[in-house]
Amino acid sequence: MFKLIFAKELKEIIQSSRFTISFAVCSVLIILSFYMGAQNYLASLAQYEAAVQENNNQIAANTDWQFVNHSIMLPPQPLMALVNGVSNDIGRNIEMRSQGELRAENTRFNDEPIFAIFRFMDLEFIFGIILSLFAIIFAYDAINGEKISGTLKLCFANPLSRASFISGKLAGSFLGLSIALLIPMLIGCALLPLLGIQLTGEEWIRLGLILIAGLAYFGLFLALAIGISAITSKPSNSFLLCLVIWIFAVLIIPRGSVLISGRIADVPNVDQITAEKNRYRAQLFAEDRPKMADFSVDPQTEPMDVFPLFSEFMNELGTARQEKIDVFNARLNEEFTNKRRRQEQLALSISRVSPTSVFTLATTELAGTSLRLQNQYMDDAYEYQNTYASFMEEETGSANSGGFRMIVIDTDGNQEEPDPLDPNDLPQFQFNQGSVATIAGNTLLDFGLLFIFNLVFFGGAFAAFLKYDLR
Amino acid sequence: MTTEPIQAAPLLEARNLTKVYEDGVKALDNLNLKVLPGEIFAMLGGNGAGKTTTINTFLDFIQPTSGSALINSIDANQEPLEAKKYVSFVSENVQLYPNFTAMQNVDFFVRLGGQSNYERADYEHALIRVGLQREAFDKKLKDFSKGMRQKCGIAIAILKDAPAILLDEPTSGLDPKAGKEFTRLVGELRDEGKAILMSTHDIFRAKEIADYVGILNNGVLVAQKTYEELRGVNLEELYVEYMAGYMDETLESAVLTNDLD
Amino acid sequence: MLSLLIQKELKNILLSPKFVATFAVCSILILMSVYIGIQEYNNAVIQYEANQEIARQDIAEASNWRSIRNILHREPTPLQIFVSGLHFDVGRLSNISTSDDIKLIRSPYSDETLFAIFRFIDFTFIVQIVLSLFAILFTYDAINGERENGTLKLAFVNPISRASYLIAKFTGIWMGLIIPLLIPILIGMLMLILFDIPVLASDWGSIASLIGLSVLYITFFIGIGILVSSLARKSSLSFLLLLVIWIGGVLIIPRLGITAAGQLVPIESVAQIEAKQDAFQRARWNQYSEDLSETWRTRSAEMEGMDEAQAQAYREEKEWEWLEEDDATRKQVQVDIIENNRVLYEEVQNQKKIQEKLAFNIARISPVSSFRLAAMNLAGTDIDMKSRYEENMRFYKDDFTDFVERKQAENPDEQGGMRIEIDESGVSIDFGRDDQTLDTSELPRFEAPVVQAGTAFGNSLLDFGLLVLFIIVTFGGSFTAFLRYDMR
Repeated sequence: MFKLIFAKELKEIIQSSRFTISFAVCSVLIILSFYMGAQNYLASLAQYEAAVQENNNQIAANTDWQFVNHSIMLPPQPLMALVNGVSNDIGRNIEMRSQGELRAENTRFNDEPIFAIFRFMDLEFIFGIILSLFAIIFAYDAINGEKISGTLKLCFANPLSRASFISGKLAGSFLGLSIALLIPMLIGCALLPLLGIQLTGEEWIRLGLILIAGLAYFGLFLALAIGISAITSKPSNSFLLCLVIWIFAVLIIPRGSVLISGRIADVPNVDQITAEKNRYRAQLFAEDRPKMADFSVDPQTEPMDVFPLFSEFMNELGTARQEKIDVFNARLNEEFTNKRRRQEQLALSISRVSPTSVFTLATTELAGTSLRLQNQYMDDAYEYQNTYASFMEEETGSANSGGFRMIVIDTDGNQEEPDPLDPNDLPQFQFNQGSVATIAGNTLLDFGLLFIFNLVFFGGAFAAFLKYDLR
Repeated sequence: MTTEPIQAAPLLEARNLTKVYEDGVKALDNLNLKVLPGEIFAMLGGNGAGKTTTINTFLDFIQPTSGSALINSIDANQEPLEAKKYVSFVSENVQLYPNFTAMQNVDFFVRLGGQSNYERADYEHALIRVGLQREAFDKKLKDFSKGMRQKCGIAIAILKDAPAILLDEPTSGLDPKAGKEFTRLVGELRDEGKAILMSTHDIFRAKEIADYVGILNNGVLVAQKTYEELRGVNLEELYVEYMAGYMDETLESAVLTNDLD
Repeated sequence: MLSLLIQKELKNILLSPKFVATFAVCSILILMSVYIGIQEYNNAVIQYEANQEIARQDIAEASNWRSIRNILHREPTPLQIFVSGLHFDVGRLSNISTSDDIKLIRSPYSDETLFAIFRFIDFTFIVQIVLSLFAILFTYDAINGERENGTLKLAFVNPISRASYLIAKFTGIWMGLIIPLLIPILIGMLMLILFDIPVLASDWGSIASLIGLSVLYITFFIGIGILVSSLARKSSLSFLLLLVIWIGGVLIIPRLGITAAGQLVPIESVAQIEAKQDAFQRARWNQYSEDLSETWRTRSAEMEGMDEAQAQAYREEKEWEWLEEDDATRKQVQVDIIENNRVLYEEVQNQKKIQEKLAFNIARISPVSSFRLAAMNLAGTDIDMKSRYEENMRFYKDDFTDFVERKQAENPDEQGGMRIEIDESGVSIDFGRDDQTLDTSELPRFEAPVVQAGTAFGNSLLDFGLLVLFIIVTFGGSFTAFLRYDMR
């Protein structure tokens, strides 16, 4: 019986004009989003490479490492283009310094605000908003529509149990539609190598997991719509109810919960923190000033030897001051980071009431464009800062510039032309995406929730139908 | 299907069937009726008289408050899956799946009815028997007229080949020619030995083919006439008697329609 | 007759679950969005003030005029409560110093990435997505649904004209959608007053235009709904078609238009521009040093044949002239480089303008884009907000630089940085200014760019016009379709 219902459901879906139209639209959109993501990635990659090249040129134009302005850039990743997440909202360039705080600047949306108006059409958008809506369109009259057309009665005039009917229906519509959606997805995946984008094995696994999450998300909306069609008598009402739920789940709860709960948590804004740090720095500098004025050397010293002595003196003062600042800033940053993490935790946990948030959080994590991207990038940048500092120390004898730069003007003018620097000497910045195991581990909660949502909605639809009035 | 019902035992039987809805409305009141193989029992009555409720009870769409509906001596509400093996059903307005062809619809429902040995030729045979044009076989149902859909419905019932058949207002909305053809088919099925319980508004057609006519009013079987008795009765008189009951309940039935139909 | 029909439509709509759902959803959403918008606005004001504080600190810390820096911050506007536009995406501040270029950095989203995950929800978003969806729900069966029910035939048994029937239909649906839009937004406007948000008279004007714009937008969706409903025979088909139109118009075309334009008109990235500037600069300096060598060779050639003393005398005689010559050449190099940078910058700006124009024009195939763009223009959170601010900041920077140079000239003793002087007497360190504060009261003040309500409206006139045009087309279409409608 189950098999029969299952097969009928499949056939009925595939033969309906509703399926033809929406499948065509979905396929075009899915393939388009892969294509545009790929183009987007290639464009960012070209930009990135030009920027790296420019940075190297800048370095090569110098003859002394001391005067180098070195910037590191966030390398674009193919998955970032497929699931944008916050990747367009975080700074991509960091001006590297041997010490002190680093700041990422130049977000994509700030540089090219035109793209911020309507944002990009990525996989997360297609699944999160469009496919969930299509799931509702497919299933909003699954049960009450059959009741109105009388086929429900006709079916149950036969020795058919409700359980096998509803499970056949759920499984048939889910599998039928998933397989249909899988086709454009696979075409999209095949498009990537064709457009010249080579994914690593780990990236393929992550992309696969993203697609699985997408199907699970689609499934839960399908089950939800079927369930609602089993508790309302008129298809127009069940569509209305589905739509209201969709609006809340997709558009309202994620945004509303993050905005409201984010603001409940008392987190000072960045500028207040900066102001506090600046105050402390100014205070320390003021304290050091009398010491500087006391600098003196043995009058017998050769004038040319005074410079290194003074430099050393200033370095000592600077290092001591920097240490204090570092301690102070670290404490402030840690407090701030902790508050912010708590805020994020709270906001995201509340938003997980909606399956759409769960889906978004899972896919962005898999694509490496969740909030973790920013943290990871900054962590990697700070790690690189150490390497950079020791490199600079080796090359210039001092890692500390401390805002103090000495320019010696030599008027004799018969020096040899120094060699330009080789940018390849500089250690390369490595952005660490994290292993697929860690990433998958991070999404475990969200996958679990997706599973639970599915369980609840499938179970709910099942239970609702068992009590359904067949007349 | 190997069903050899014991002769003379009723295939469809309502025993003291009573249904009271949650809001206290009595839809069926101690209804008793029997339909033997080779018999047609026609239930007459106005809207809300309880005709559809009776059929819904036989199909286990409604749980009776007391009493029982038996199909082939199996309680339809206790063992619905077993009981439904012995019954076919044609509803008032057979819609079927609009995106399926006639063939696909027939195939699905017949298999659902437990018949899986048929081939396409058998389906074609049945569809021709009910009078469907051959070129319509592979057309989608959404392009069908009401009469054509009804023909598919009866073809499904024929193919299921159950000993009992429930017909819920099967001729309402059909043109006279289609109605007549339908009546002929029902007669043929009766002659094949099926036990048929039908509900109808159409007293003339009921009188024409039914072996028994029961008149329901407010869920009570107020009169039951045999074919012979009907022949003697003045049709107009019967009509008035029936309408009188109908008039009394008009108010109530207006409230009930929503629940019952 | 018409009033009877309108009454029937109104009753039919106002008593329907659709209306109840729309009203409830819109009220919750609009009030929530205004509330959150007010919170975000207050937050932006706090941040703005914190930043003024940082700028003051920086100035107070400066030891001399040369090292003085200022930070300019974008001013929050109450209109961003309704139309956040690009407020969250564009940098909020720029450093001002004699050496730094103007650049807006640190967008609100980059500072608080948490809020970028799901983005902000504002009034325009609700109208754009939610109300348009409800408009479709109200209209998809307006005509063919009545035909399916048989009520269409029943109505036209009576002596009524098709035109009045359609007008009544439209009026009923229009009221059913405008009420859930107007009542909550009026309450929202009251909230602005209750929360003491400083709203200027011109801002009220912009809000009123914004509401007018929203009404036009909804009217368009009603128009297209009725049109499709009178073209498609079955309501199930018109429903599906309208949903596809909605998805295409609201979600796809705007995005696609922009992305397509982005690919058709590639813009050089900041890094590429910098590379070009850099290359020119290096080439120019190389040329300069070659020229210089050449000049010196010529000068040496002039001294050819002179004896030591003559050459010495000649050199001394010419020294000043040569120095001035060399200095002029060097200055010319700098001028050339600055000019080249400016040309490159302008080229990029022009490219950007072309790209924007193309992108917006493609996107305007869908009236949704017109709505969004017009709303952002009205609120001043549009795409030009960034360049407006950067331009004003550039002006400010010029004033600032002039001021600083003047001050430096007035106080020649205050040299920048530390000076270490080494002479026979040993080492002495001069910190310039010590502990006395600079008089910054005369520091030029920054005026945030103000978009006059008239200008804002003028900028959005095209989009208003387009919306009206779309409305005329859909309504004309509906009328002709319905006048020839097959009532059977």
